[in-house]
Amino acid sequence: MFEIEMGSGGEVICRGRLDAAQCARAESFLDGLDGASTLDFNELDYISSAGLGILLKTQKRLAGSGAGLKIINVNNHIHDVFRYSGFHAIFDIHAKE
Amino acid sequence: MKRNFRRHLEALSPLYEFAEEMLEAHDVAEGVRFPVHLAMEELFVNMVKYNPDISTDIQVDITLQANQLVRVSLVDDGGVEFDVTAARPVNIDAPLEDRIPGGLGIHLIQNLVDTLDYEYQDGRGEVIFTKGSGTDNV
Repeated sequence: MFEIEMGSGGEVICRGRLDAAQCARAESFLDGLDGASTLDFNELDYISSAGLGILLKTQKRLAGSGAGLKIINVNNHIHDVFRYSGFHAIFDIHAKE
Repeated sequence: MKRNFRRHLEALSPLYEFAEEMLEAHDVAEGVRFPVHLAMEELFVNMVKYNPDISTDIQVDITLQANQLVRVSLVDDGGVEFDVTAARPVNIDAPLEDRIPGGLGIHLIQNLVDTLDYEYQDGRGEVIFTKGSGTDNV
């Protein structure tokens, strides 16, 4: 199960498992973002390379207008996936405390 | 525990549930379960993506060996040869403007599992990986 929605504070809330079967839904939502945005991964348990591709595509698009994604509340497992992918250098990533 | 899965991305959810049921039943640590699920998905998706014209099921076999070592085999009968152990350089230090979405799946597998083997003969490919240790969180 994967859910994505706009939170009350303007952040994008992601929940569940972002696998290859769920990427179309994530991509459709993220394509609607305009300007600097925050993704809250507090309830996101899992992400695969397909999800990483969607994040990268979104980051590249936003960078064209000088903006970017901030990703907060990232769990340890996803944090390591980001590290192995070199995402710490191209995203503003904050681990879950 | 062995099961066949339809060659389609819609099989990812049943595949996850199948693996999670076994890993949870054997009290496998979360730090092992996460990379097992990740490697299984990446391998399964590759088998789906690179063989759009065949409809054979993909067979997945998960066994738990000594010391909580998880062994996973995925058998792709009729698929094209695709050696997942081959080096596929990914520049993870490249700046954003030079990064291209895609290509990280095999890189992640090769970095996250303990062993990774591939055999291909007479149209039958089999990937076997093990995971049971590691100092990372994944």
